[in-house]
Amino acid sequence: MDDSIHIPKDSKAPTKPRFRIGLSEPTIEKMRLMKKNALKMWRIYRKNRLGMAGLIILMIFVVMAVFSPLVMSLLSIIGGWDQAYGPFDQDYSTPKESPPSLKHWLGTDSYYQDVLARVVYGTRVSLLVGLVATAVSMGMGAGVGLLSGYWGGIKDDVLMRITDVFLVIPWLALMIVFAAVLPGGASVTKVVFVIGITGWSSTARIVRAQVFSLKERSFVERAKAVGAGDYYIVRKHIFPNVFPLMFANAILTIALSILSESTLSYISLGPDSSKVVTWGNMIADADAAFAIRQGLYLWIVVPGLCIVAVVLGFTLIGYAMDEIFNPKLRKR
Amino acid sequence: MRNGKILIARKAFNSFITLLMVVVMNFFLFRVIPGDPLMNLRNNTRVSDEYKEQFIHDFGLDQPIYVQFLKYIENVFTLNFGNAISEPLRPAMDIILDNMVWTLILTGTSSILMIVIGMSIGILAAWKRGGAFDTGSMAFSLFFYAMPTFWFAMMLIVIFATELKWTPSGGALEYGTRFEFTWISIKDMLSHLVLPATALTIGSIAAFSLIMRGSLIDVMTEEYITTARAKGMTERKVLKDHALPNAMLPMVALIAIDIAFVVGGAFQAEVVFDYPGIGWLTVKATIDKDFPLLEAAFFLIAVVVIIANLIADVLLVYMDPRVKME
Repeated sequence: MDDSIHIPKDSKAPTKPRFRIGLSEPTIEKMRLMKKNALKMWRIYRKNRLGMAGLIILMIFVVMAVFSPLVMSLLSIIGGWDQAYGPFDQDYSTPKESPPSLKHWLGTDSYYQDVLARVVYGTRVSLLVGLVATAVSMGMGAGVGLLSGYWGGIKDDVLMRITDVFLVIPWLALMIVFAAVLPGGASVTKVVFVIGITGWSSTARIVRAQVFSLKERSFVERAKAVGAGDYYIVRKHIFPNVFPLMFANAILTIALSILSESTLSYISLGPDSSKVVTWGNMIADADAAFAIRQGLYLWIVVPGLCIVAVVLGFTLIGYAMDEIFNPKLRKR
Repeated sequence: MRNGKILIARKAFNSFITLLMVVVMNFFLFRVIPGDPLMNLRNNTRVSDEYKEQFIHDFGLDQPIYVQFLKYIENVFTLNFGNAISEPLRPAMDIILDNMVWTLILTGTSSILMIVIGMSIGILAAWKRGGAFDTGSMAFSLFFYAMPTFWFAMMLIVIFATELKWTPSGGALEYGTRFEFTWISIKDMLSHLVLPATALTIGSIAAFSLIMRGSLIDVMTEEYITTARAKGMTERKVLKDHALPNAMLPMVALIAIDIAFVVGGAFQAEVVFDYPGIGWLTVKATIDKDFPLLEAAFFLIAVVVIIANLIADVLLVYMDPRVKME
C-alpha cells in the first residue's frame, strides 16, 4: 500500500508527522485500520457478480439524480430541442397527453410537461425518500432493538408487543391509515415519516436478537465487571457488533421504502405531483389520464422500469452485503 | 408436550395483547385527525339531521374523550363501528364483510399458488445449485420481487386485457351481475380472477423460493445428510426423506410473516383491477374520508392477520420439537 502518511512503528522516533496533518496518532492508526478493512471488504465484494451489477445500476441512477439538469441539457443537444426541459416546464406548442415524438421522446403529460424530463428529475425524490425514510426506520429500529434487548424483562415485553403491532399489520394498511389521519397534507416530509414509522419493526427484531446473544458474551461481562455503565456498554461494545448486521438490512430497507413511496403515490397519498415529481406520482397521473386506454404506454412503462431497476439494484447490493457480513453464508 | 402447551398459551396471550394494542391505537389514530372528522358527515345531504344527531350520540362524540373511549371499547366488542359515511344506511361492518369475501378468494388462491410454485422453484434451485436453473430462477424471482405490484398489474392489463383481449380488465364479475352457482357465473368469476391473482402471485414467489433454497442448502450441509449418503441412499431419497422435512420448517414461519405482505400486495392488485375487496374498500374510504369504514376495515384486517399468525405459530410448535426447548 502506498500511504502518503507515513507512521513510524516507534512512536518516539524524531519524525513525528502529528502537526503536519493535525490528527493524533491513535486516530490515524484507527483510520488506517478502517481503510484496510474497507479494502478487504471491497475485495470480497468485487467477486460477487450480482452485487457488482447492482452497484453499477445504482451508480447510473445516482448520476442521473445528481446531474439531472446536465443530463437533460445533453439530451437536448442530442435531440436538437430548443430548450432543455425541466420537470415543470410546460410546452404549449405540443398538445397535452401526446404520444412520443422527436421533441418529446416519451410524450407529454396532462399539463404539457415533458415525460422524459420528469423521469430524469423523478430520480431525485425517489432516491431521497428511500434514503431518508430508511434512516428514520433504522434509527427507530436500532433504538428499540438495543434497548429492548439490553433491558430484557418487562420493558422488553412491552416494547416487543408494540413491535408486533407494526410487524403483523399489513404494511400497506398501516401506511394508508397513517397517511390518511396524520396532518401535513401531501408533503414529502410526511411521506418519509409514514414510511419510516411503518418500516422499523423487523430491524428492531433483528437487532434485539443480536443484542440478546451479545449480552451473554464474556467481553460485555468483563466491561460490566470493571464498572462500565449501561450507556457505555451499549455504545462501545454492543452497537459496533450489531452495526454490520444492520447495514445489509438497511440497504434492503431502502429498496422497500422506494417501493412504498411509489405505492403511496399511486393511491394518491404521496407527494403532490404539481410540486414534487416522483416516479410513483407520474404513474398515478398517467392512470388518472387513462393512459392505458389512450395507448400512451411509455408514460407508465418507463417510470415503472426505473422503479424496478433501482429497487433491484439495492436488493442485489443488500444480498451481496449480507454475504460479506455473515461469513457463514459464504462457506456454502 | 407440557412445555409446548405453555408456549402456545403464551403466544395466544401475546396475540391478545397485540390485538388490544391495535384497538387502542385505532382509537387514538382516528382522534388526531386535524380539523373536524365529522365534517363529511355534517356535509352529507343524503341523511337527515336526526340521523346525524343519533350518530354523534351513539359514539359519544359530544362527550369527553374518556367516555368516548369506553363507548368505543364497548362498540368494538359488539363489532359496531357505526354506519359508513359514504353509505349512511349500512353498518360499516356489513360492507366490510361483503368485501372480505373477495379478498379471501383472491389472497387464498394466490397464497396457495405462490407457496407451491415458490417452494418448487426453491427446491429445484437448491437441488441443481449453481446451474442454469438456479441462476435463471434467482434472476426471475428478484426481478419480480423488485417490481411494484400495482405497476405489474397495470402491465398485465396492457398486455392481456387491452392488447390481447383475453380477459376482462377489472371488476370481480360481469358488471351488474351477482354471483350464483351456475357455470356461467363461476366461469365469469374465474376469468376476472386470473389477472389479479397472477399479479399477486408472481411478485411474491421470490420470498418463498429464496428462503426455501437457502434453507435446503443449509440442511444439505448437515452431518446427518452425509451419513444418509454414506449409507448408500440415492440422492433423491436423501432429499425427500431427510433434507426436505427439516428444510420446510422455516417456511411455516415465513408463511405467517408473509401474510402481511400478501395482504399489502392484494391491496394494490384490488385497486388496479377495481376488484371489490377490502383493500379496494380501504383506499376508497381514505379518498372519501370515510373514517368509520376505515376504522372498521383496519380492525378487521388486524384481527384476521393476528389470528393467522397465531395459527402458524401453533403449527410450528407442533412441527418443530426444537421450538419447545427454548
